Amino acid sequence: MTPILRSAAKVPPAYFVFVALLATLWITKPQLMNLNVMGIFVRQVAPLGILVLGQLLVMRVRSIDLSGAGVLLLVNYLIASGLLGGLPLPLVLLMCLGIGGLVGLFNGYLVAKRRVSAVIATLAVTVIITGFVQFLASGKPPGNMPDIMNDIYKVKWGPVPLPVVLWVTLTAVMSVFLSRFVFGKFVLAVGENPTASHFSGVPVERTVLIAHVLAGFFAGVAALVQSASVAVGSLRLGLEMPIDAVAATILGGVVFGRGDGGVWGPFFGVMCFAFLFVVMTSFGVPEPGKQIARGLIILLAAVFYGLSTRNS
Amino acid sequence: MTDTASATSHPRRPNRWLGKHSRQGNWLAALIIIVATTLLLLVTTDDFATPQNASNLLAQAMPLIIVAIGQMIVIVLAGMDLSVGSVMSLTTAILALDGSPIVLIPLVFLAAMSIGLVNGIAIVQLNVHPIIATLSTQFIVLGVAQLLRPVAGGSVPDIVVSMVTGSVLGIPAPVFWAVVIVAVGWKILHGSRFGLHLLAIGGGAASGQTDTAHNFGLNDGRNIVLAYVLSALFAALAGFFIAGRIASGDPGVGAQFALDSITAVAIGGTQLSGGIGGLHGTILGAVLMALLANGMNLANMSAFLQGAIKGVILLLVVALQSRKKMGL
Repeated sequence: MTPILRSAAKVPPAYFVFVALLATLWITKPQLMNLNVMGIFVRQVAPLGILVLGQLLVMRVRSIDLSGAGVLLLVNYLIASGLLGGLPLPLVLLMCLGIGGLVGLFNGYLVAKRRVSAVIATLAVTVIITGFVQFLASGKPPGNMPDIMNDIYKVKWGPVPLPVVLWVTLTAVMSVFLSRFVFGKFVLAVGENPTASHFSGVPVERTVLIAHVLAGFFAGVAALVQSASVAVGSLRLGLEMPIDAVAATILGGVVFGRGDGGVWGPFFGVMCFAFLFVVMTSFGVPEPGKQIARGLIILLAAVFYGLSTRNS
Repeated sequence: MTDTASATSHPRRPNRWLGKHSRQGNWLAALIIIVATTLLLLVTTDDFATPQNASNLLAQAMPLIIVAIGQMIVIVLAGMDLSVGSVMSLTTAILALDGSPIVLIPLVFLAAMSIGLVNGIAIVQLNVHPIIATLSTQFIVLGVAQLLRPVAGGSVPDIVVSMVTGSVLGIPAPVFWAVVIVAVGWKILHGSRFGLHLLAIGGGAASGQTDTAHNFGLNDGRNIVLAYVLSALFAALAGFFIAGRIASGDPGVGAQFALDSITAVAIGGTQLSGGIGGLHGTILGAVLMALLANGMNLANMSAFLQGAIKGVILLLVVALQSRKKMGL
């Protein structure tokens, strides 16, 4: 490989895909290319973007978190069912973040201390929460969301919706957190080589545990934003989201143990998802086509990285 | 000489079948739980001991047994196949297409074989983690199944139905299925060089070295690809069986089976980190899962709660296994 090709292989695929999608949209649907419409598209993926912040953290320490679907469902149900009706809203919101953190702590304990395969552990957590919530709701949609959440969700600063501001802010905070704090160095070290990290005095188990707690917390935030975006609670909400989060993260150049894409690579991975489904809908691709696209994105991005890291 | 001294005091050879160092894993626990559950159901419910329920139980357990054997083939070599559920859904969707069974039935197994090939080649040649590779094919295959048959419906050829629900000489067809599947599984895992190689590759991976088997001269790449092809073929067989039972196509029919098959394999004592496991353990695990489902149905438990309980069982079983590796 020539040096130019080699350095091109280091650039996360997300940037190329993003440019390609924008170009496609610009050629086929030029009327969509205005800031207000774009703002709506991007707002739709803000929960996914926040979920990805947690996903990239756990993936950099060679783990994965698929329990986001469970957290989303649980938070959605708790708010919509009025089960916590007596409590003031800020307290309910705080509780939802706490639930996310607790689920993350449980995942982290299983993965870091019990050495359970992260896919199995977090999928099982989703299955348990989903079954339990559906049992509580006896299969029926739970009820309405409080109006105030939807009102906050719809706030805009110029063309920029508030959820997008939250997403960008959290991403920037995460970027500083990973580059300026010791924890970021620990994450880097554990991802590169857990054994060497352990013998160099890096607290490997604690790093993985904290990564999972943070991922759970971000899932809680994503769940709140997602819940605010819908007026009525649903039991089918966001079951595809953790998979999309994994796809966006890999697309953004973060694979297991390697974080070439940083925090902004996955950010653009999520932006791809904002436009991908718009482009597909405008070409008349049916719903199953989106499933195939999901799978293909993960596979192709993983192959891209598998090939570029094979010789190292 | 020191060599002879160490040769005379060689460590006690571990029991091949039982105990902590068994190559077969801890399958005794599953057997004990099965006996206990059976006794409990015999005592507490009236419907359990009827021939009708026994026949139902075998027919219910069959798909899980089939798909779990395939799942186990990849788990002992330290892999995992999350795409089996989607392969089952796709199989029912293909069988419910309009067409002659002479075309549809080979098509099913051809499709499964190519999915297994894609999984295997992505893992071996393209260096993709097994869980990521099969997670992505899970969605691709599910999408194809939904394209072929968006909602449950259609009808499968009569021959498929009669092969599953019919009977020969008064013996119901699932019994024949069970005998054939167990014989084939036994041949693959315990009666062939391939089975031994699977354990060797998985055992090396479990001890932290990725190329142990390769260094011993095994063609590990070819064996791994073959294992994923077999896993997909077993999943297609399971889908075939289900298609015969429901007599129609359903893109959602396989959704539970990826995790259920992993649970069954893990309960049977097979280590998810690879290298340790046995066919009888996997069959016991699948039977145990079917018994529990049967018992919960007889007790009129909510289907949602049953799902949650299966999740708890999976979590308990995998949390009790020991593994060196952290993460995926």
